[in-house]
Amino acid sequence: MNSSADTTDPILKVSDLRVEFDTYGGIVQAVRGVNFEVSEGETLAIVGESGCGKSVTVQSLMGLIPMPPGRITSGSAQYRGQEILGRTRINGRELRGSEIGMIFQDPMTSLNPTMTIGDQIAETLQVHRGFSKRDAAARAVELLSLTRIPEAEQRAQQYPFEFSGGMLQRAMIATAIACEPSVLIADEPTTALDVTIQAQILDLLNDLQRDNNMAIILITHDLGVVARMADNVAVMYAGEMVEQGTAHDIFYRAAHPYTLGLRAAMPSNVDETAQSLQPIEGSPPDLFAPPPGCGYCARCPHAVEVCATKPPPRFSLEAKHNVKCWQHHQDAPSPPTELFLSSTTQAGDTAAP
Amino acid sequence: MWIYAGRRVIQGIITVWFIATATFVAMHSVPGDPLLSDKAMTAEIRANLAAKYGLDKPVFPDQYMTYIGNMLQGDFGISFTQQNREVNDIIREHFPVSAALGILAVLFAALGGILWGALTALYRNKLPDIIIMFLVILGISVPSFVFAALGQLGLVGLNSWAGQTVLPVAGWGTVSHMLVPALVLGLSTMAFLTRLMRSSMLEIVNSDFVRTAKAKGLPPTRIFLKHQLRNAVLPVITVLGPAIAAITTGGFVVELVFAIPGLGRYFVEAVQQSDYTVIMGTTVFYGAFLVFMVILVDLVYGLIDPRVSVE
Repeated sequence: MNSSADTTDPILKVSDLRVEFDTYGGIVQAVRGVNFEVSEGETLAIVGESGCGKSVTVQSLMGLIPMPPGRITSGSAQYRGQEILGRTRINGRELRGSEIGMIFQDPMTSLNPTMTIGDQIAETLQVHRGFSKRDAAARAVELLSLTRIPEAEQRAQQYPFEFSGGMLQRAMIATAIACEPSVLIADEPTTALDVTIQAQILDLLNDLQRDNNMAIILITHDLGVVARMADNVAVMYAGEMVEQGTAHDIFYRAAHPYTLGLRAAMPSNVDETAQSLQPIEGSPPDLFAPPPGCGYCARCPHAVEVCATKPPPRFSLEAKHNVKCWQHHQDAPSPPTELFLSSTTQAGDTAAP
Repeated sequence: MWIYAGRRVIQGIITVWFIATATFVAMHSVPGDPLLSDKAMTAEIRANLAAKYGLDKPVFPDQYMTYIGNMLQGDFGISFTQQNREVNDIIREHFPVSAALGILAVLFAALGGILWGALTALYRNKLPDIIIMFLVILGISVPSFVFAALGQLGLVGLNSWAGQTVLPVAGWGTVSHMLVPALVLGLSTMAFLTRLMRSSMLEIVNSDFVRTAKAKGLPPTRIFLKHQLRNAVLPVITVLGPAIAAITTGGFVVELVFAIPGLGRYFVEAVQQSDYTVIMGTTVFYGAFLVFMVILVDLVYGLIDPRVSVE
């Protein structure tokens, strides 16, 4: 488990979250026991390839999973110590939009095409904070300028089709932070935007976080974005979090072969380390029938016998750094040198293979 | 907007001229003429009458030019079979009846279609959806005279059960005369709009911006009214123009069953009797009405959907 030696209490703590979907082909186990936590003013990046369960994880926290076919089979999510999984209100107050804001991948389709930008921002203030129509509209203009949209007053009167993609994402951010939420979930906020706009949006999120002391959960498959934003990183693969740690741990002391694979697949412009990109061969396991052992086993260059038969336990390497990989077991024969192996490995919650 | 409207009106006038010409040609291609009535008529009387109405002249260009010329001045002429009755009078007297019935029917159809369509989408594959969609198939496939007769039967039953006239079974005059005929008249359109609304709503329910609205923590009623309904209703509005025209012009069966003095009856009778002036008058009038409705709906669409600029 992640360390409890943290000085600050986590604002959001998720443990053993499992989500399934009924489909014609059978039951898809999209999320298979996920744990993470995030504290005020901190950014947690959840990284992984498409279909690894990143979006399902956060959408299940926000009650955005259509049920049926979706189903949360177990787990808990605590917001400031109170259980929120499977409900959207605590103490009669709506959480979504008020305590937890969320922005999405494609700003072009994520705003209502027949409503002005200003009204869409003002709406949450009216519903959650009891603002009058006029006050909410005025605040919406302020929020638009806060997200660095020029001529905010005129822009507030316009419709989404009159905005560019980057501007729409700013408007989305303005909507999400209108009620000054403690947690902002950003589900691939820059994937649909070009690189220069991407940098501006990330800077904006950083600044807003500093000003409001928000916790940000950033979902991405772009390690460049992670490097720029994250304090902590959770690497997700096949519905599980295979490695968690600080950004420094993940970039310089990666302990899971998948994390290494992701890094090798990332372009670099530093001469000494520049090399051709290494794709990860193969494809993720079938989540209709997840493998009995480690999900990454079939693609892992370091896989040994036990990997295919038993799921690896979580090994604690350092305070915040943990990994699910058999190579960190004390009895592992000659672990590959490129993996970071901590001296505290033996102290992890190990089970005999 | 005004330039756009002006351009649409000019296009509309051309359309109406096409309708007039096509009707004129079709009308004269059909065997028989308005002077072929039951009354015995000597060849001399017949020739005199033909001369009086201008039917002895060649159809093209003389008769055609005369019709078009008169029509431009708003004169549709005098009925051949109903002596001394101007076509304009017939329209003026009977169209308001058809229009009142039609507007009420369109109101039923549009409100009903939007309501039932939204309901079926929200209860997709559940009991309300299955029941309503079954009724929709019925509404589309059963012809209106069956519903008209059933409606009348229902009214008779209702009145005899209540022991007094709750709603009149036939005739015209008050709103209570209109209700059931309008419902019957609008039924098939309502069924059609329900299906359209259902599919449109199903698409909207799964759209990204509705997910955003949920993530904003808005109450379900607000999401439904402000985010789903307004966007889902757009395709329904586009077909409303033709629907209005179809209902107002297609009401003659219902008018017949409920003995309503609408324009539909005259239209059908005129065709049967080759009453040239009445055919031309009612066809061109209905054509112009349809064109006007379509233009009006397109202009209204621009107000509801900001992405469509009417310029």
